[in-house]
Amino acid sequence: MTRKHGDRRTFLKGVGGAATAVGLAGCAGLGGGSERDFFKLGAVTSLSGDLRFGGGVTQRGYDLWADTINREQGGIEIDGETYEVEIEYADAQSNPSAGADAASQMINDGADAVLGPYSSNVTLAVCPIMEQNSMPHITGSAESPQIWQEGYEYSFGTIPTVSIIGNEATSALLNLDPQPDSVYVTAVNEPFSVATGESMRAAAEEAGITVENYEEFPRDTDYTNVVSAAQDADPDLHLHGGHIGSHVNLVNAAEQLGYNPDGFLMHYGVNTGSYKDGAGAQGPYTFGATVWIPSVDRSGGALFDSPQAYADASEAAYGSAPDYTQAGSTAAGVVFQEAFKELGSAPPLTQDDKDELIGILEEIEVNTFYGDVAFETEGEYFHNNINTQTLLIQLGEDGSPSIVGPEEAATDEANYPVPAWDER
Amino acid sequence: MVDLGLFTQIVINGLLLGGIYVTIGVGFSLAFGVLEVVDFAVGEYVMVGAFMGAVLAPLFGAEGVFAIPIVLVVFFGVGALIQPLIHHVTTGDRPHPLLMGLVFTFGLATFLRGSVLTIFGPNNQDVPSSLLTGGVTVPGVGTFPVVRTVTAVFGVTALLVFMYYLYRTRGGMAIRAIAEDRTNARLMGININRYQSIAYGAYAALTGSAGVFIGMIFTANPGMGLQYTAFAFFMVVLAGMGYLPGVILAGIVLGLTQSFTAVYISGNLVLLVLFAIIYVVLLVSPAGILGKGEWAT
Repeated sequence: MTRKHGDRRTFLKGVGGAATAVGLAGCAGLGGGSERDFFKLGAVTSLSGDLRFGGGVTQRGYDLWADTINREQGGIEIDGETYEVEIEYADAQSNPSAGADAASQMINDGADAVLGPYSSNVTLAVCPIMEQNSMPHITGSAESPQIWQEGYEYSFGTIPTVSIIGNEATSALLNLDPQPDSVYVTAVNEPFSVATGESMRAAAEEAGITVENYEEFPRDTDYTNVVSAAQDADPDLHLHGGHIGSHVNLVNAAEQLGYNPDGFLMHYGVNTGSYKDGAGAQGPYTFGATVWIPSVDRSGGALFDSPQAYADASEAAYGSAPDYTQAGSTAAGVVFQEAFKELGSAPPLTQDDKDELIGILEEIEVNTFYGDVAFETEGEYFHNNINTQTLLIQLGEDGSPSIVGPEEAATDEANYPVPAWDER
Repeated sequence: MVDLGLFTQIVINGLLLGGIYVTIGVGFSLAFGVLEVVDFAVGEYVMVGAFMGAVLAPLFGAEGVFAIPIVLVVFFGVGALIQPLIHHVTTGDRPHPLLMGLVFTFGLATFLRGSVLTIFGPNNQDVPSSLLTGGVTVPGVGTFPVVRTVTAVFGVTALLVFMYYLYRTRGGMAIRAIAEDRTNARLMGININRYQSIAYGAYAALTGSAGVFIGMIFTANPGMGLQYTAFAFFMVVLAGMGYLPGVILAGIVLGLTQSFTAVYISGNLVLLVLFAIIYVVLLVSPAGILGKGEWAT
């Protein structure tokens, strides 16, 4: 019996000791500790839920940056030493409150900086957490103007707000010949999509074109009713703000009911594989908006030599062509990399380093494969990069995008007015 | 002044949308009526059916319609295999059999959704069809989208076939006896397991093939199931729990309400109006619009 007690005591001591050791090791690992020979970036994005497609796109963008700089340059060079980059992900679950929790987790885990979520909804929940904790944060994919109107000091974005993208793409479309007389505008009722629809409507009104109707509806609506109402108004163009699923449902319903405006302009994501696969035969000829595609003429710079070099790297890594969200996410990493170099502090960054980093980000101008990135320092686009030019694209018969506007950037003629459904 | 052309088109849209709901509601109502299982996996059967359509269609010259017979057979087999498991967790000494069934099918739904997401990724997938494209325009009435019309006809035909089977055949009589009183049915010599497997297999087959049609109408997406689970619940509440003939009326009410609210009130208020109707029916007529279902408790 005594021996048994002794054994039990020894066992309990052993377990206790092991648990303490594991706990301390865990604290050191998760908390970042005072010594760390790598830059640790937290990334909050939606790896599950409705937005997992976009979350996956941003993840590929962030990973491609980290993998490339670690492989090709051994990491980020500070005072002659190179420090690798590691990204730790937290799942926002397509849900703003889960995104806020994920952001807190990244901060508690000792991140040097945070790469932001996919979707404006989640970003709007994450930004205040970054603000409260003075954590530098660059999002590579959120586009709602609300984010920048709040004037968050610690949050930046590489993709221009949709109020610019939607407006400029619509203007480019409205300049095609023959010029339309009327448009019908629809939007899914969520912040990004509403901002998109409103920017499209504003562009049409600025151009003096009749807006037959502007309608918002929930994501899972039945689009035959949307199409029937639009068909009754008989517009020249249909403009739609939403995510990919809504675009697919809209063109399917249009084909089923024989609704044939001269063109559909939809944002976001008509040049993604998900739209191409989901819309099938209805996909070709759709107009879309973007700020980047692999064939765009931009000079390249830090890390990737050109847009095509970036696209090739993405193909090699993931077997898929990147879209502008992925490119914008990678660009966010590139901007952090250049800002870290300018800061010149080895990881882990102190709070003073992080505060200094914000000043550097406000001043920085980085030439990248994505375009020149610089952040606004005042006004309604505070800390948003609005320098990247908007492109009007159109899908060809094989689903590949061509730049058809604005005139100075176009590489192909638009197929406009688009053929009727029964003529394709 | 109401535009008559738009009005009739909205009626058509609503009726055909109701037809889509009927294809889902028939099987779900049958499963509840016969097996007393509230199947949380119904929407995921729709989703898996849609993905099977997307996978099989290219094998038949990009024609999703030809996938339907295969989906019917495969889902019937899978349903017949799953049913004994559901029977196992909802009978015997287990407490709260209805809850056990719900939990089991919820787990099944999660498993199916996760599996499809893992295999196919989060992208939308087209279920192509060259036979069911475009619409047929009837002058002075409106346009009937071919794929939606065929789906509605499929749903109503399936309902009529089920009703014929239930009320005009010995097998149907056996299933009704099981629904009435399982113990007495067993004492009468009815092979309960066999008929329950047939009923659940038929439900799964119908729901899976409804998924192929829905994939052709919209698209296949791993996240689409939950929406159809919700509408299946709406259907049985409106139809009356387990009351098959009420399914058509429930489909029409849901479809027309959705269409008219979207066009004449606001697209944003569709779900609010639908939920309001469900709550009112539950409060005023818990046995469904026609008052012939089991009481919703």
